[in-house]
Amino acid sequence: MNLAGFFIFLAAAGLLWSRNMIYAVWYLAAEGILLGVMVGASGPVTWLTGLVGIATLAIKAGLIPVALHRMMKTWPSEFRQDHPLPLWAYFVAILLVLAVGHVIHLLAPAGITLHPELFFYGLASIHLGLLMIVARRHVLSQVASLVGIENGLVVLAASVAGSLPTFVELGMLMDLTIAISLLVWMSHHIHRQFNTTDVAALRRLRG
Amino acid sequence: MSQYLSFLGPLAILVVVALMRQHLTPIWAKLFAVVTSLILVASLAADWSGLLLGQASVIFVLVTDLVAATSAWDSVQWLKEHRHIAAHRYYLWWAMFWASLLGIAVARNLAMTWLEVEFSTLASGALVVEMGNRQALEAAWKYIVIASVGLVLALIGIVFVYASLKSQQMGWATLDYRNLRLRVTHIPPIIRQVATILIVSGFGTKAGLVPFHSWLPDAHSEAPSPVSGLLSGVLLGLSLFAVARFVTAVPVAPHVFLTGDTLLTLFGTISVLVGSLALLVQRDIKRLLAYSSIEQMGIIAIALGMGSKAALAAALWQFVLHAVIKSTLFYGAGHLSVSYHTKRLEKITGLIARNQWFAILWGVGILALAGLPPFGLAYSEWLILENLWLQHALVVATLLSAALALTFAALSYHLLRTLWHPLESSRSLPDTAPEPNPQLAAGGPSPS
Repeated sequence: MNLAGFFIFLAAAGLLWSRNMIYAVWYLAAEGILLGVMVGASGPVTWLTGLVGIATLAIKAGLIPVALHRMMKTWPSEFRQDHPLPLWAYFVAILLVLAVGHVIHLLAPAGITLHPELFFYGLASIHLGLLMIVARRHVLSQVASLVGIENGLVVLAASVAGSLPTFVELGMLMDLTIAISLLVWMSHHIHRQFNTTDVAALRRLRG
Repeated sequence: MSQYLSFLGPLAILVVVALMRQHLTPIWAKLFAVVTSLILVASLAADWSGLLLGQASVIFVLVTDLVAATSAWDSVQWLKEHRHIAAHRYYLWWAMFWASLLGIAVARNLAMTWLEVEFSTLASGALVVEMGNRQALEAAWKYIVIASVGLVLALIGIVFVYASLKSQQMGWATLDYRNLRLRVTHIPPIIRQVATILIVSGFGTKAGLVPFHSWLPDAHSEAPSPVSGLLSGVLLGLSLFAVARFVTAVPVAPHVFLTGDTLLTLFGTISVLVGSLALLVQRDIKRLLAYSSIEQMGIIAIALGMGSKAALAAALWQFVLHAVIKSTLFYGAGHLSVSYHTKRLEKITGLIARNQWFAILWGVGILALAGLPPFGLAYSEWLILENLWLQHALVVATLLSAALALTFAALSYHLLRTLWHPLESSRSLPDTAPEPNPQLAAGGPSPS
């Protein structure tokens, strides 16, 4: 579990660092595979855990990366690159990852953490995802960061609760699927109507 | 059990939409409106005793059904005015949105509330996208991304609470509000505090509380007007009461500085101030109503933050009255913007000369929203101020009073400009009155 969490954290860092959106899709697919394995192995194997594991794999390692990849393939190559990550974002990323140690220290008396190392990887991935939403400007970077945050949350949940109730896990997966489908479809329209993939273009509505 | 009766409405619409798809003729829009009205009557008959007892969940369901029914009737006219909208897709998302609102209203489980709130974001976001223009696309993008981030924060809080009670081995039922209330002492104080901050901020994002409100004016102003009514009148309030349910079920230790009640009062006061100040400078008719919603949610949050039964009753009154008034005004604003071919307030003038009856209705609605007695909001706002006075929250009471006065001034100013021509432009007007528009809502696409 810890090893899978470590690689998910690495993929989250790669997602933040990567300018090429094709690489971002590969990082997301890797996270999806690791999560599928992790969810499936989080408790005694029943048909319910198996179902959640397979659904996670199908959606996070299959459906979402494929949808993002197919969308990008329709765009000229200049629209597949994000702007360079601003310098401040590197410092904030380091601070946010270090801050996780403080959160673990803060929550230690509560005794809810089953796997402190996994907790670190989960919360650090969430932090990096949140930073990515603020620092990255490509529309699909924002979509990828939402998926990354959700992946981090699943790792965090595994670290404190072992697993979430099946209904919650399946509900989250369904919500994520609809959300990403909508956002990918909207990315297509943003590219078509604004002739850009930069979210900075979305600033007509003010005041 | 009777509360679940209302789900038959969205289910019936979804079945028809799935069967008819592109062949959905305008007559179906009228039939959908009849169905929603029948559902309202049926749930009113079934839940009458609960309504008389003042049960919050019954009130939530009935308000949701009421605004859904008015929204469905307004959709009939709105779709005639916006023929470029695909009716089958509109009703598909509209029915899902209605179902998600009912889900929030009847939810007895924290995780279920979260799932329904998240689903309401997606369904209503899709409805905003249906407008098909650049502004709508921008508004929907911001709405879905910001609301989703907020809801992830809330989910982290929910996961912490679940982890604290996992030894109960109750699975899904662990997060029932009733169970949370019974087992609150099993949740460590630090977890209660962290979860409260995360859940108030997360659901507060959906409720449009400042400083998490940046998506709201965009989404509410760019959504189809019948949907703006549901968004503003129902969804914001239900999200806020979801926060209050958690805060009541899992109270933070009293000696802690940032309790749920304190956070609600703090965010509520900031929202009231920001909302009322923003009303003064608005130039878009639907953004004006959207900022008014921020102010109204602030008032409800202040009332919920007081924590007393009397304040809760006042908050419920405020929610019900705001839902009815604001949804009606949003429908009206949609037709006004079609009639004038703009949403800009400086161009929507001389309404009395155009359509006297509509002008009277619009005037009554705006004055009711401004809190003018004898309209209901004046009563509920007075109750909230009275409760603040009784609890010696004089700073909040003073700020709220100032904001209410400011709101009244701002809305009256905009109303006067809408009803008559502004003085500077009337000097340059020809002697003849503008040509009256017999059918206020003229056809053709518009920015509403």
